[in-house]
Amino acid sequence: MNVVVCVKQIPDPAAPQSLEPSTNTLDRSGKLILDDSDAYGVEMALQLVDKAGSGEVTLVSMAPNGEVAGLRTALAMGAAKAILVSDDALKGTDALGTAKVLAAAIKRTEFDLVLAATESSDGYTGTVPVQIAELLGLPSITFAKSVTIDGSTVKVDRQTEAGYDEVTAPLPAVVTVTAGVVEPRYPSFKGIMAAKSKPVDQVTAADLGFSAGDVGAAGSGQTIFAVADAEARSAGEIVVDEGDGAQRIVSFLEGLKVI
Amino acid sequence: MNFQASSEQELLRTTVASIAQSFGHRYFVDQAATGGKATELWDALAEAGFCGVNLPLPFGGGGGMAELAIVAEETAAAGCPLLMFLVSPAICGEVIARFGTEEQQRRWLPGLGSGSSKMAFAITEPDAGSNSHRVATVATRRGDGWSLSGTKYYISGIDEADHVLVVTSTGTDPLTGRGQLTLFVVPTNAPGLSFTPISVGIVATEKQFTVTFDDVALSDDHRIGPEGGALRPLFMGLNPERIISAATLIGLGRYALAKAADYAKTREVWGVPIGSHQGLSHPLAKAAIDVELAALMTAKAAWQFDEGLDPAEASNMAKLAAADAALVAIDQAMQTHGGNGMATDYGLITVWGMARLLKVAPVSREMVLNYIATHTLGLPRSY
Repeated sequence: MNVVVCVKQIPDPAAPQSLEPSTNTLDRSGKLILDDSDAYGVEMALQLVDKAGSGEVTLVSMAPNGEVAGLRTALAMGAAKAILVSDDALKGTDALGTAKVLAAAIKRTEFDLVLAATESSDGYTGTVPVQIAELLGLPSITFAKSVTIDGSTVKVDRQTEAGYDEVTAPLPAVVTVTAGVVEPRYPSFKGIMAAKSKPVDQVTAADLGFSAGDVGAAGSGQTIFAVADAEARSAGEIVVDEGDGAQRIVSFLEGLKVI
Repeated sequence: MNFQASSEQELLRTTVASIAQSFGHRYFVDQAATGGKATELWDALAEAGFCGVNLPLPFGGGGGMAELAIVAEETAAAGCPLLMFLVSPAICGEVIARFGTEEQQRRWLPGLGSGSSKMAFAITEPDAGSNSHRVATVATRRGDGWSLSGTKYYISGIDEADHVLVVTSTGTDPLTGRGQLTLFVVPTNAPGLSFTPISVGIVATEKQFTVTFDDVALSDDHRIGPEGGALRPLFMGLNPERIISAATLIGLGRYALAKAADYAKTREVWGVPIGSHQGLSHPLAKAAIDVELAALMTAKAAWQFDEGLDPAEASNMAKLAAADAALVAIDQAMQTHGGNGMATDYGLITVWGMARLLKVAPVSREMVLNYIATHTLGLPRSY
C-alpha cells in the first residue's frame, strides 16, 4: 500500500500575514510550516500503510524557495520521502495550475491512493484535490471522516450536513480527509532525528514537463483585481432583563433557527 | 560561531510547545492544587520520546543537553515547569551514562531515556546544606553489600520516582578530614526507605520530601562509580542540573513576558493600551533583554557540555542570570497586571514560587557567586 499525501507549506497562521500588493496574493516569501489540516492526511496515510503491513507514504508539495520545514514535520511523523516542486516560474500559479503541477509530481511515484486535506488553511479554494483526480483520470471522494481499504477498494464515510454517506471507489483514487478523520500524532524525537536523512526530491516545473506560460502567473486563468477588508463586526444587542430576558433570548435564538 | 538552531532543534521546540500548550498552566495549577502530579503531561512527552533526549541513542535519546534544555524550556514556557527534568534525565541520567557500568546503564537508562521511569536525586541534608563534605547519610559495608542510614530533605518528586540516586558518606579522608562520598541508586520501595512531604507554599506538581534511610540494605551493584569517588560524577552531574534549571527559568520568563505583553496590548485605562506607557513598556523590554541574555548563556553552557568542554562557569552564570531574569520578568508582569497580578486566574502568582525556588535551588545564588569569584576572578576562597 503506497500512499501519496499532498501537503501544503503555508505561512504560520499565528504570525501576522500580508498580501503582495502587485498580485493581491498571500506573501509566502517568509518561513513556511506544515498546514495543520494536512497533518490529518499524513496520519491517515501512516495508519493505512501500517495496517497494510507494507508500502510507504510519499509527500508531494509545491512551495517557493525550496522550503522543506513543513515537509520535515511530516517526515518526522513517519512519511518515508517527499517530492518538492519549487521554482520561481511557479509564482502566481492558481488552483488549477497547482493541481496540474501536483498531478505531474504524483505521476512520478507508484501509488495506490492519494490523500489531501479538504482545503488549505491559507487559500481555502478546496478545489485542488478534485482537479488532481480529474487530471489523473481517477475517482475522487471528498470530506472523508473515515477511510478504510478493502482489497482494491477504498471505503469512505463521507461527511454531509445531514450525517454521512458510505462511498466506495476502486483504487487508485483521490480522497480528501476532514479534521475528524484521525488524531494526528506528534512527531517523536526519533522521528525528528530521522527526518533530516529522508530523501526530498526537489524538482522544477521544467522537470515535470511544463514550459513557461503553462504555469505561474502567466498560466493562471485567475486574476485577483481587488481585496477588501472583511466588514467590521457590529456591536451586539444588549438585553436588559426586565422580567422578559429569557423570552427575548429565546426569540433571538429562534430567529437564528438554532432552536 | 553559529547561533542558528538546527532544523531538528526547531521541530523539537515547536513539537514540545504544542504538547505542553495542549495541557497549559491551568492543568498544571489544577494538578498542583489537588495534590496531583503532571502525569498526563509527562506521559505525553514521554510517548513522543522527549523526556530523555539527552541520553545516548541506545537508551532512547540521541540528542544532548541542548535538546533537553529545549524540552525543559518549552514545557515551562507553556506554564508547566517540571523539576523532574532537572533530576531524572539531567543529573541521574548523565551520571549513570558516564559513570555507571554497562550493566547499570542497561538496567536504569532505558527507563530514564523513555521517561517510563523516573529517578529522584538526594544530596541535601538538614545539617549539611550546600556543604557536601558534611554529608551525614552513611553507607557502611555489610557482607558483600551496603547498609544506608541517614536523612535527606528537599528531595523533589521521590513519591513519583522508582529510584533515587543518593549521595552518601563512606568514610573520612585521613588527610583532609572530609567525608569520602559514594553514590548509590536506591529503589524507592526498598525496606527502610521512607519519606514524608514538606509543606511548601509554591505551586508545583512535584512535591518536596524528607527522606529517611533506616538501615537500607543494597547489593554492591547499586553503587555508581568507585567507593569514595562521588566528587567527579557529582561535579559533572550538577552542571546539567544548572543548565536545565536555567532553561526552565527562561521558559518561565518567556511565559510571564508573553502574558504581560498580551495584557498591556489590550488593557486600556485612559483610552490607550497601557503598553503604550513607557513606565510599563520599558521595564518589560529590559526584562525581555535579560531573559534573552540568560538564554544565550544557557545555550553556551549546554553546547559546552555536549562538546565535552568544561561547562561549569557558563552553567553557573546561566543559572544565576536566568533566575534573576525570570524573577524580574514575573515581577514586572505582575506589576503590569496591577491587582490581577495577584489573581491565580491570571497565572502569574502561580509561577512566581517556582522561579523563586530556583533562585535558591539547586545551587544558591551565593554559591554561584562564590564560584565565579574564586574560579573566574581568582579571588580567595571565602569558605
